[in-house]
Amino acid sequence: MMNDTATALRIMPAEFSTPPTSTSIAIDIRDLDFYYGKALALKDVTMAVPANSVTAIIGPSGCGKSTLLRAINRIYELYPDQYAAGSIEIDGRNVLDRRYALSELRRLVGMVFQKPTPFPSSIRANVAFALSYYERLPKSEVNDRIEDALRQAALWDEVKDKLNQSALGLSGGQQQRLCIARTIAVRPEILLLDEATSALDPISTAKIEELIHELRERFTIVIVTHNMQQAARVSQSTAFFHLGELIEFGNTSEIFTNPREQRTRDYITGRFG
Amino acid sequence: MAIPARRRIADVVAFVFATAATVFGLFWLAWILWITFREGAAALTPSLFTQMTPPPGSSGGILNALYGSAVMILLGVLIGTPIGVAAGTYLAEHGRYTRIAAAVSFINDILLSAPSIVIGLFIYELVVRNAGHFSGFAGALSLAIILLPIVVRTTQESLLLIPDTMREAGFALGMPRWRVTRQILYKAAMSAILTGILLGIARIAGETAPLLFTALNNQFWSANLNAPLANLPVVIFQYAMSPYDEWHTLAWAGAFVLTAFVLLLNILVRLIARKGKQ
Repeated sequence: MMNDTATALRIMPAEFSTPPTSTSIAIDIRDLDFYYGKALALKDVTMAVPANSVTAIIGPSGCGKSTLLRAINRIYELYPDQYAAGSIEIDGRNVLDRRYALSELRRLVGMVFQKPTPFPSSIRANVAFALSYYERLPKSEVNDRIEDALRQAALWDEVKDKLNQSALGLSGGQQQRLCIARTIAVRPEILLLDEATSALDPISTAKIEELIHELRERFTIVIVTHNMQQAARVSQSTAFFHLGELIEFGNTSEIFTNPREQRTRDYITGRFG
Repeated sequence: MAIPARRRIADVVAFVFATAATVFGLFWLAWILWITFREGAAALTPSLFTQMTPPPGSSGGILNALYGSAVMILLGVLIGTPIGVAAGTYLAEHGRYTRIAAAVSFINDILLSAPSIVIGLFIYELVVRNAGHFSGFAGALSLAIILLPIVVRTTQESLLLIPDTMREAGFALGMPRWRVTRQILYKAAMSAILTGILLGIARIAGETAPLLFTALNNQFWSANLNAPLANLPVVIFQYAMSPYDEWHTLAWAGAFVLTAFVLLLNILVRLIARKGKQ
């Protein structure tokens, strides 16, 4: 795969000329309603997120795009008056089912947030944190896994000599790649990126976009973004949300060049949002 | 561009009042420090820290009182801190949105402002009367109860200051709550919690009323926690009230040591808080 995004975008329709088939669905969302207290934030959302590709969620502020991500790993359960109805199936099991263990779900589905959230400890401890919870490994293997995760997150060369230093000393872009590294260290299948570059400078953003390109061979990636150019650059499928509803979902190139819905067209051409 | 005269006058008046109030407060503080130092300096000899409290008319030190205070403060901290940190953690994390946490938080506020003499009487009824005698244990227990709400409150507030994004990041990795709390939140709140504990120690170090009913005092050296135990605040109280000059001087010296200890703790708190910010 080439890193040249323009080229990548042009050849994408060939890869995804047909809608994803059922065999390649990573996340099967059906009839999803989401409530903040009494307010309905997502209305009857049904969409099938294709495996091993990048799906972008776009839409104006408050349209429910972050809410969708927060439903997939059930992080909303931290708050007492938020709940989801419907089903989200991953590997044939409904993750919204209370019996689905959260630790199991969140190992399978990693999440990276808008603001980098390094833990107040060393770089090594940040990556080892979840890893040592899930797996009892000999020390040498832990080190290998840490190196592997940092390499995958394109951070290794910058931090290999200061693994024991505080993660808080890294730049914002490095911190965000560290958050990606510690998420992929436990080998999830799905990565949720919630506006993961919106707090970063253009160079850091470019690095992370490049990273997304590389990671999509190993993970199913869902990104929420305000930046439509970014959605067009990094994703193969795009979903447009408006007022809690899924308006249109399809190949990124089609959504951006020839949307079926007027609202999608209006948003993409900058008439609102 | 000119500022109206009324606003300028209001500004000057506010400035004068604020400055005067500050000077007024600092004046008494400086005076207390100065008197304690002046009167106590005469007794500040090595024997202060090596000899026991003397009978009237002879010289001595306050070693037994320093020891008793140190032991009771230490024991009070050992009892009060774990319970306080655990309760504060419950209020901020586990029980955050529950009614019971709101109720506990409210009751803790009442305990926080309860007069210390009431706590002394409570332990007197609970421990001293049942045991039939005053004891260092009872003293330590009453100090622990004074310390407890301070630690609960600081722990709760330090944890609540950590943005939820930090919690979400921990939980998004699939960590259970205790692990997120222990490995992420405590680390982030460490200096603030430590500050609260130190300020709590400074508070209980000077408490006299609860010790009067519990540890009482002891003229002699005693390391027995199950018997009346000498301690600095009560020694200061008794010696200052006595008619003997030697005792007065010792009381001043004791007051100076206590003030210096509290001052040192506060400086330590400042240093920790500054380090925590970096």
